[in-house]
Amino acid sequence: MKIFQKASAIALSAAMILTMASCGSSASSSAPASSSGGGETSAAGEIELNFPCIWVAKDSKAQVFGEMVAAFNEENAGKIKIVIEEQTDYQAYRDKIRTMITTGNAPDIFTIDNIDDLNNFSRSGKLLDLTPYVTDEWAADFTAGVLDDAKVDGGLYALPYESAYFPVMYNKKLLADVGYDHFPTTYDELWDCCEKLKANGITPMSQMTGENAYTTQLWFSQAIVAIGGKDVYANGLSDPAFVEAAEMVRKMFDYTTSDAVGAGASISAGHFLNERTAIFMNGPWFFGRVPTEGTESLNANVDLAFPPMATGGKGEEKGLTGQVQAYLALGNQTDPAKAEAAVEFLKFITDPEWVAKLSVSAGSLFAVKFDEPEGMSALQSKLVSMIAEAPYVAPVFQISVPVATMTEFPQALDALVMDEYTPEQFIEVLSSIS
Amino acid sequence: MKPTKHDKLGILLFLIPGLFLFTLFFIIPVIYVLVTSFTQWNGMTAPVFTGLQNYIKIFSDATFRRSVSNNVIWALVAGCVQVPLAMLMALILSKKPRGWKFFRTVYFFPQVVSGIALAMLWQAIYNSEFGLLNGLLKVLGLEQYATNWLGNPDTAFFSVVIYWVFYIGYYMVIMMSEITGIDEAYYEAAEIDGATKIQQDIKITIPLIKNSLLTCVTLAVVLGLRTFEQVYILTNGGPMNRTSVMVLYLYKQMQSSNYGRANAAAMTLIVVGTCTILLIRKLFNLRGEKT
Repeated sequence: MKIFQKASAIALSAAMILTMASCGSSASSSAPASSSGGGETSAAGEIELNFPCIWVAKDSKAQVFGEMVAAFNEENAGKIKIVIEEQTDYQAYRDKIRTMITTGNAPDIFTIDNIDDLNNFSRSGKLLDLTPYVTDEWAADFTAGVLDDAKVDGGLYALPYESAYFPVMYNKKLLADVGYDHFPTTYDELWDCCEKLKANGITPMSQMTGENAYTTQLWFSQAIVAIGGKDVYANGLSDPAFVEAAEMVRKMFDYTTSDAVGAGASISAGHFLNERTAIFMNGPWFFGRVPTEGTESLNANVDLAFPPMATGGKGEEKGLTGQVQAYLALGNQTDPAKAEAAVEFLKFITDPEWVAKLSVSAGSLFAVKFDEPEGMSALQSKLVSMIAEAPYVAPVFQISVPVATMTEFPQALDALVMDEYTPEQFIEVLSSIS
Repeated sequence: MKPTKHDKLGILLFLIPGLFLFTLFFIIPVIYVLVTSFTQWNGMTAPVFTGLQNYIKIFSDATFRRSVSNNVIWALVAGCVQVPLAMLMALILSKKPRGWKFFRTVYFFPQVVSGIALAMLWQAIYNSEFGLLNGLLKVLGLEQYATNWLGNPDTAFFSVVIYWVFYIGYYMVIMMSEITGIDEAYYEAAEIDGATKIQQDIKITIPLIKNSLLTCVTLAVVLGLRTFEQVYILTNGGPMNRTSVMVLYLYKQMQSSNYGRANAAAMTLIVVGTCTILLIRKLFNLRGEKT
């Protein structure tokens, strides 16, 4: 009896602890059973396709994307119905998709935002290979080379959709106040500008190490390419450019806000939007926030610039960094009619006219070609012309290293900027993560 | 009275549905977690057996060791500071001083607010540029103590733990309900014998709420061990993994598609938690007693 009591005590104790494990994985194991296997074919013959979607609620693409889905459903009434499952948090969305695919229940339609997931999902056998569906005519709608770049082991398991490019955003007025009528073209000039801003009582840059340290990662990416050139990732992290770039990022924290260590994206962006900092880096989706969330004068004061060059570096003048921000993917289907229906939807949402509309409304750029539409914001138009001028668009650090490296990046960055790691140690730690 | 064979059959029949669900939703998943903790598995392809490699890897990882020690500290603070604080408040409010209902509501209120919302609120309070805490220090002339509370390695973990300690309402209400059930005759007798209020609390109330106290300590410690959301929101384990906890470590391994390693961390967590709870029971000397 005592043994039974002991055993039951252990089992009950373990049961209490199990809740912890389920809590820990709550974000990732939240895939509802209703999503398993995605949509169905109704008795009336209408194919229902499930689409866990991040472009909802307050997302900048939500309105027009919602209109696109509604238009598709109307056009295909009685035949195909897209059912949007709203997801508002990017990390939770990633976790959900990973969990669904891991458990063999890939959604009918979904998006992927990083190469690691694209590779893993593609090799899982749970994604539909789009190669037979992408005709030459459809492929011609995409910018040159992007479809080939998205291939995994020769198969096309996802279509590149939203693209991101990362110019420098700066406050013209604050820079003009310290004698800069242009954005510094070299890092030496940038440090000088930062010193002058600091002396003038302005915090020069917005930086962050919290969450995924996203915007600082963008600066790190720019510095890496400025020093090592566009092909710097060819030899892994062994190129000396990475150590030098780490040194530069370390220096950037001498010119940032006191809360940068541990700051998340909202804090980092908030400083720039409130004109507490003069220099910031983010993707084109941020443009829409300038007039709506910035100070009254900010919209007139913000301008874009090419990132600075490193003296003696291999990076070229006007070189940019960028990445595919979202890939469109389909779950593998046993029913060919469902596969066809899902492909139809992809064709619809990659239609250049719709994409142009989406671009104008959201401020985003896409891997689908379209004529520059009317109504683009000044910042967006400027970025389009900058992309045309850029000799290359090099990948950012985030998509060039495994997810595990990026998971540890913010913590290693903390150590770098607090002088716990030397730049060499910083790179060594990132290289050692498997 | 000893149960008869017929009684035993009845008990068994009543237990079967519960045991079935317990096996389905607890035992089998735990076995699955245990088995896959000995494999290298990215969740997409078939797991590859690697023996104890995952356990060796996580125990040689300074971040995991720190996560374990942070959890132990957290659990100790919850059990040794948070629960005694709750008990103190329960003892005070049970005497029904003026405004006790108001304070009971105030103390319990945070329990109905999402932990995420509270963490976001405290993130703003701790902010070094515009946070309330640094502002208050400036007003009090203590500007030299102002810091980036969540970004400073010396203050980050303390900052994450300390605000949580004061959310005592849940345990306070459990103990208050137990105190309310104590027979007034004990106190009347004690008063006749000349016992002070404090002596009454120490000699009568606390021993009689021992079971509730055990429940509260167990819950507090378990919650301390399964802490996740406030750390995730406030610091994401930073700076330099100084505030990392086991569930966050596990979560990050899953983010990196290291499911084998994540499951090894989960098994460690289950073992640590189980041992801790058994230890608490031992400390409360309840072995063999009916609870």
